[in-house]
This record gives sequence, C-alpha cells and structure tokens, in this order.
Amino acid sequence: MTPLAPIASPILAGLREAAAGTGLAVSSSASWPETGADAVVTPLAGFIESNFSPLLAEVAGRALRGRAVPQAPGRVTAVVMVSALGDITTAARVAAAVDAGRRVSPLLFFQSVPNAVAGYLAARWQLTGPVVCVSGAAAGLDVAALLIDDADADEVLVVRVDLAVTGGGDHAAAILVTSPDGRDQR
Amino acid sequence: MSPAPAARRGPGTVVVTGAAALSAYGPGTDALLSGVLSGRPAFAPVQRFDVSARRVGVAAAMPGSPDLLTEVTRAAGAACDDAGLSPPERARTPLFLAIHGDPAIARAPDSAQPGLGPDAFTGAAASGSGLAGPGARCYMSACVAASTAIADAAAMIARQHADRVVVAGGYLVDCDQFALFDAGRVLADDGQVRPFSAGRRGLLLGDGVGAVVIESQESARARRAPPLARLAGWGRTGDAYHPCQPHPEGHGLARAVTAALQRAGIAPEDLGYINAHGSGTGQSDPAEASALRIALGGAAGTVPVSSTKSLHGQALEASGVLELIVTLLAARKGMLPVNAGWLGADDSCRLNLVLGEARAAPAEFAMSLNAAFGGANTALVIGLP
Repeated sequence: MTPLAPIASPILAGLREAAAGTGLAVSSSASWPETGADAVVTPLAGFIESNFSPLLAEVAGRALRGRAVPQAPGRVTAVVMVSALGDITTAARVAAAVDAGRRVSPLLFFQSVPNAVAGYLAARWQLTGPVVCVSGAAAGLDVAALLIDDADADEVLVVRVDLAVTGGGDHAAAILVTSPDGRDQR
Repeated sequence: MSPAPAARRGPGTVVVTGAAALSAYGPGTDALLSGVLSGRPAFAPVQRFDVSARRVGVAAAMPGSPDLLTEVTRAAGAACDDAGLSPPERARTPLFLAIHGDPAIARAPDSAQPGLGPDAFTGAAASGSGLAGPGARCYMSACVAASTAIADAAAMIARQHADRVVVAGGYLVDCDQFALFDAGRVLADDGQVRPFSAGRRGLLLGDGVGAVVIESQESARARRAPPLARLAGWGRTGDAYHPCQPHPEGHGLARAVTAALQRAGIAPEDLGYINAHGSGTGQSDPAEASALRIALGGAAGTVPVSSTKSLHGQALEASGVLELIVTLLAARKGMLPVNAGWLGADDSCRLNLVLGEARAAPAEFAMSLNAAFGGANTALVIGLP
C-alpha cells in the first residue's frame, strides 16, 4: 500500500447509511485512518493517555474544514457523539489507579466524560447547538434529525470514535449533516 | 410581559404518566419527596468503598452496594406500573437510558469489553423491564444525559414520531467517579452542598435512579391514564466556550431557558418554581444566576429557586430525571424544597432562593435546569394537568 492510498472506513459508511435513513444531507465527512499517513494521532492539549478525545477532535476538525461552504454567522451547529464502548482507555486507567491506591490525574477527571472534548470542539469552532452523546449511529442520526426539525440546530456534526479493543486500530469518522433541501429552518 | 411566541416544535401535547425513583432517602418517589421536603441533606460518610485516601469522604448514598442494572431495570418497571401500562403496551415502548456506561467495563478483560457496551446494558434493562428492544438507546452526555433524553422523547412525541417513551437514568456512587471528582478538587470538603451561597465549597455525589413514562396526551387518554404533569417545554443548547467550564454569564443556559419557555408558550412570571442545576461550585452557580437574569428578566428576582442537589446530591447522568421527578412532585404538592446549606448571600448569585425550610406555594408551571461539561445545557418545563 502506498502511504497516501485511501483507506475505507466502515464506521464512516455506517454514519452515511444512518444519515440516508433519516433523509439528512451529508455536507462534509472525514475519517481516521483516512490514508496510510494516519498512523499517530495528533495530541490534544489537556487530554492525556487515551486516543479517544484527540481522535474525535481530529476527524471533527477535518469534517468542519472540509465544508464546501463556510457556516454562515448565526447558524447553529450541534455536536452528536457516538461510540460503541466510549472511552474505555480512560475508564481502564482510572480503575487501575483506584485499585492500586494511586493518585488519579485531575486531567482524567475532565476527560472522563465525552462532553469535555465536545466542549473543546464547540469553543474552537463556535458550535452553539446542543451537545449529545448516544450509543449508536442510528440513534445519533435520529437525534440529529430531530434537532434540525425542531430548529435547535441548522446543521449537526456527528462524530463516532471506536477505540481498538482486541487488536486492530482505533477508528473514527465524522459527518456534517443538514436538512436535505438546505433551507434555513429558522 | 406577554407570552413568548410559539417555538418550533411538533403540535402534540406531551404528558408524564408514571414515575419511579431511588435515592439516598430510600426507594420510591414518596421517600424522595418527603426527604427533600424534610430539608435534611442526605450526606454521610461513605461506607461503600474506601475513601481514606480522598480529600473528601462524604456522599448521599444508600446503605450497601446496589447494582446499577438491577436498579434502573426496577425503576423502569416501577414507572410503567405507576403509569398503569399493560405488558403489551410496555412491549411497544422504547427505553432511553441515561448512564455513564456499564460499571463493569473498566475492569473487564479486553475480550469481554465488546459485550459490556452501553447498547448491551440498555438492551438488558429494556428486556428486564418488559420494554421494547427496538428503539432503545443510551445517553452518556454527563450531567445532561437524562434531561437530554427527556427533551428528545418529548420532541419525538410532540412530532408524533412516537406515542410513548420510557426515560430512565441511573448513577450509584462508585469508587472510580468518586476518585475522579476528588482528584478534580470539586467535592465540598465541608461535607455540605451550598448552592448560590457565600462560602460554598463544591458539590457532593449522590445515588440517583429515576424513570418516567412520557407519552402523548392522546395515548394517555385512550387508556384513561391520568397525567402527573404535562411536559410543556424543553430546551437544549451549547455554550461554545470551554471543555469543562460554563460560560461565565450563562449565555447557553439562558438560551435553553428561553427555548423551553417558548415551547411551553409561557412567560417567565408564569413559573412558580425552578429546580436549578445549582451544583454548589464556585463558577457554575454565578453563571446560572446570570443565565436566569438574562432569560427571565425581572422575574429572576421573584420566581422561587432552589437546587435539590443540596439535599440528594449530584447524580451525574441521572440528575435530569431525578430532578425532574422532584420538581414534578413538589409542584403537585405545592411545596417547594429548600435550598439547603445556605450560609449567606453571594452578590453574584442573587435569586429568590427557598431558604430555611420548604415553602408552601402554588406552581402551575415549574422548570428543572441542568448543565454539564462541554457547555451543554438543558431546561425542562412541566405544567400541572
């Protein structure tokens, strides 16, 4: 494989399929690993030991930068996070420290819920819509469609991160979804 | 002030027809209501696990080590009982469950982890309480997980995407979260939660399990189920400010309050009670007070406010459902829970707090607020039927 050959992303395909099921239009997307160049995820200041939050930020940033048309001022973007198992690395590190009677890093406190990296993204990209974390792609896209229908958001960034469990690598994907006719819902 | 204009929502009327709860005050909604109305905080030294290495050793926990799956399953079933749902009606009703995750996953071998995900846990709770497997989903958005699930259920029912949803949430004080909150230095080292008060020193964790049956008014009428309350309005927003601090002026929370009032079609002065997020932390309480001043205007100085976290503690992912139940029960009884732990006024948190003891007052409409890391905010408005 050449270093820049594209790598198919089953979880991106899953997000796209779920989006199609709700009738939402996908305006941008990204995945990890996208090519062979995606070997080591860029660290995210303030987040330690686990790839969960850095991967989430990486694919979300790629999808947001990849928008064909910049988000107009005043339009609202929601963040919906999806993960099969959540940040199991952070959970295991905390449990190991507790069981060994070791001090737990305060940074693990902040990253122990998926909201923290969503808050980072929201501040970085001025995403003022709701922040939601649900367990599956179908639920995530259902939430996205509901938020758009009810004008709680004009577009929704749906991000999925699945950390490697037994071998294999970490996988992440993000899509930006909007109402299919692109009309302003407000 | 005239009522706010109608906000975008489905046309259906949404009602709550059943509720169940478990807290440090004991099992059941009666124990929860009498506990919060007693004004006596449920905090005590933690016996459930070793806290000798922690800065703080206090929480609002039941005796023993209850099991999360057992308790959320029991609560979901008890809420269905309270609503008078038959087994076939339950079997058509999805479960939205708000939890941090399966407590077993952090110590499971890698090979067992895929079976310990939130979907498996939610499926087990749905199956154990006789609810539908399809449509079940798990919310894990920290302290707004349950309130977001409730808002989503209401929005779906108002749009006639569903007739009925059971929303349950559960958090039972555990050694891992306790260690994290202790490490984050957010636990109150004086053993009391003092929301909006001078001298407040932080939050304390508390056991909380709650479940509500949310359905369309038509569905409730068709089976002659009397509503406990209407779920009149809901709002959810993000601050876009910081990973773990609220916007200092509460801009996001203010927008959530405004959206909930608009969906309820009421004016700020129509609110008879607000059960605030009121975590008792230095930054969050002034942000919330500011949000209420922005969203409610002059009514921010008159609507009675308390944070029942000062009594039952912070139930994390379950907070939204536990506190909605407290709000609903208090409004139905016409008795507003006290804002416990008060030491004196903090000028940055000026509100009409319920102080001293529970206050008898009518509350035809009441609001429950929650906020979380990530700048996530929710507001839920109930109206008496």
